[in-house]
Amino acid sequence: MLAIWVGKLVAWLLRLRGHDATSFPGKIALRFSPNLLRRFGRQLERVIIVTGTNGKTTTTSLLASMISQKENIITNHKGANLIQGIVSACLRESSWTGRIRAKTAVLEVDEATFPLIADSLPVVVIVVTNVFRDQLDRYGELDTTVEKLFSAIRKTQACLVLNGDDPLCRHLGLRASRKTFYYGMDRATAKVSARKQMRDGQFCLQCGHELSYEGFWYGQLGLYRCPACDFVRPHPEFLGTYRGHTLTLAEDLVPELELTLPVQGLYNAYNVLAAVSAARVLGLWADPIHAGLASYSPPAGRMQSFDVGVPVTLNLIKNPTGCDSVIETVTSDPRRKWVVIGINDLAADGRDVSWLWDADFEQLAEDEHVERIITSGLRAHDMALRLKYAGIDTNKIGVIEQMDDAMDKAVSEATAAQSAVYVLSTYTLLHPAVHTLSEKVRNDESQTLAYRTSVS
Amino acid sequence: MSHRPLRIGHLFPDLLNLYADRGNILTLTQRLQWRGYDVIVDEITHADTPRFGAYDLVLLGGGSDREQMLVAGYLANHRTELRHAVEDGLPLLAICGGYQLLGAYYQVPSGEKIPGLELIDMVTNYSAGQPRLIGNVAILTEEAGVVMGFENHGGRTIHQGTPLGSVIHGHGNDGVSGLEGIRYRNIWGTYIHGPLLPKNPRLADAILRTMLQYAGIDDTLDPLDDRMEEEARRSFVKLRMPEVEAALG
Repeated sequence: MLAIWVGKLVAWLLRLRGHDATSFPGKIALRFSPNLLRRFGRQLERVIIVTGTNGKTTTTSLLASMISQKENIITNHKGANLIQGIVSACLRESSWTGRIRAKTAVLEVDEATFPLIADSLPVVVIVVTNVFRDQLDRYGELDTTVEKLFSAIRKTQACLVLNGDDPLCRHLGLRASRKTFYYGMDRATAKVSARKQMRDGQFCLQCGHELSYEGFWYGQLGLYRCPACDFVRPHPEFLGTYRGHTLTLAEDLVPELELTLPVQGLYNAYNVLAAVSAARVLGLWADPIHAGLASYSPPAGRMQSFDVGVPVTLNLIKNPTGCDSVIETVTSDPRRKWVVIGINDLAADGRDVSWLWDADFEQLAEDEHVERIITSGLRAHDMALRLKYAGIDTNKIGVIEQMDDAMDKAVSEATAAQSAVYVLSTYTLLHPAVHTLSEKVRNDESQTLAYRTSVS
Repeated sequence: MSHRPLRIGHLFPDLLNLYADRGNILTLTQRLQWRGYDVIVDEITHADTPRFGAYDLVLLGGGSDREQMLVAGYLANHRTELRHAVEDGLPLLAICGGYQLLGAYYQVPSGEKIPGLELIDMVTNYSAGQPRLIGNVAILTEEAGVVMGFENHGGRTIHQGTPLGSVIHGHGNDGVSGLEGIRYRNIWGTYIHGPLLPKNPRLADAILRTMLQYAGIDDTLDPLDDRMEEEARRSFVKLRMPEVEAALG
């Protein structure tokens, strides 16, 4: 009881002072009662876990938005996906006596945290979005991540919703011997890609032979098959066809669903497909799915737009595959643009910045509409060096270590040139950037307002 | 310049690509191209037959234990050829898993031994329960001053040969000896990635000089504008390993 009081009190104090209370209250509460999560878990009827390398936060928010059309739920926001974040989410929905006002929880869980909490909660569905290279210093190596997920799955009775286009997810599904639902894209939309991007897990985890691909979507997601054994991409139960602004969901014996996408990019279409598939498995019909998508607002820093006089788009980057998708979105914008790239190397960012060299920044060198790139953050100079070796003219590269100053500079230069700004940043720079950009939007609005008043 | 194109063999980029080896290849090729050389990078996948006589430099990167096991299997048949090429002076840069492969074996926590290439009298052990050696690292080398980067390895490597350098910050070969990497003939073996070469241009040029010499080209390499590299080195050291600053000079 004391733990709950302390936790709620800390949360209340933090919010009072304008801080976000997504992790810290849980951390403090856990210190008083290490078993707190188990106590909360006993009160819940069903928990849906979303895990995987990329797309956890977006998929979780989308699914939460759909389920909450029907009932009150618990969910962790802003990617607070470690145990303290999950406990904080429960605290938010609990009374001062520790009673939880919801029966269902939709939780984003970090791959390394999942095995630690799996048996504390009544997990009924596990969604794995993909397994890409991410933060090697935290997890050791990619194969360790697969093992962690597998050990977590074994601690639950849950059924699985997996990305069938990802050979590593398929491997998980085969080993887990659970009821498994696969989702995937329509094979007609796969492309034969010439770009040299990182492809993790391109070897068969069953027999070690190289996988052969008929086509790719992105990263290692594609139409794979092992020529040496019977490992092959499964036919998805939930089949998506992505057409820019819509996604069609086809499912056996059920009418097709035409979904309007609230987020841009192929990688986000995958997130929508994951969320909708999980919603279907949980028995949701078309109405809450449509309503959930319509009322969804993107989490901070996932293609978040700010109008500060010029359009600014903010994006999280944290690993090569996710970063490549973001860069592709930047270069497919035909406008002239300024780019700010903020790189920190704190624990939550990953202390090893090698991954910058596996990401395809060469794409920026080929885009003649990129006017200038400013690198920022604690490892701004490493990022600048990466751009130099990517073949970008060093006169186009600038280093401004303070992120706010870097964004100021980009916005003022872009305003003079009437063009767009893209901000790419690692995790610990993201929320400060959201804060700064939101302030700028407010200032810009009040200026515009003052201007209008004076002319009317 | 009228030289034949230089040829770099990148061994198993399909398997050993864990720690940004692409950055090392990029650094070597760019620094040659900026000086007017043509470079060809041959990606030798597991399906190809490596012809060690055809390369001016070979790079062997790092992978997970599973992938390293696969590589050991593929290379077993080419061990003799590689040994002859190395004794003949073939420059070889081996990083992380690739470094471990240079020795007799790498014993993983399960007790299983991944056989090495036996190019160097060296063994690596990773006992169950031992922590991984992870973090920023800086060493002092004879040929390239301070070499810095990141290390992330479970294996403890032991050899009696000449190390690449002595540890100023971080763990090195085994976390206790204070030594890092190995230098043998024209082999550079190291746990340092990050990747290794972009922030260590002196080492990159030392390797390139050896490579040109091996290719029969007489060139001491004109200096390049390395101000961005120097900035990156200084700010990294200042931020993460201030005690190394003095050694930078």
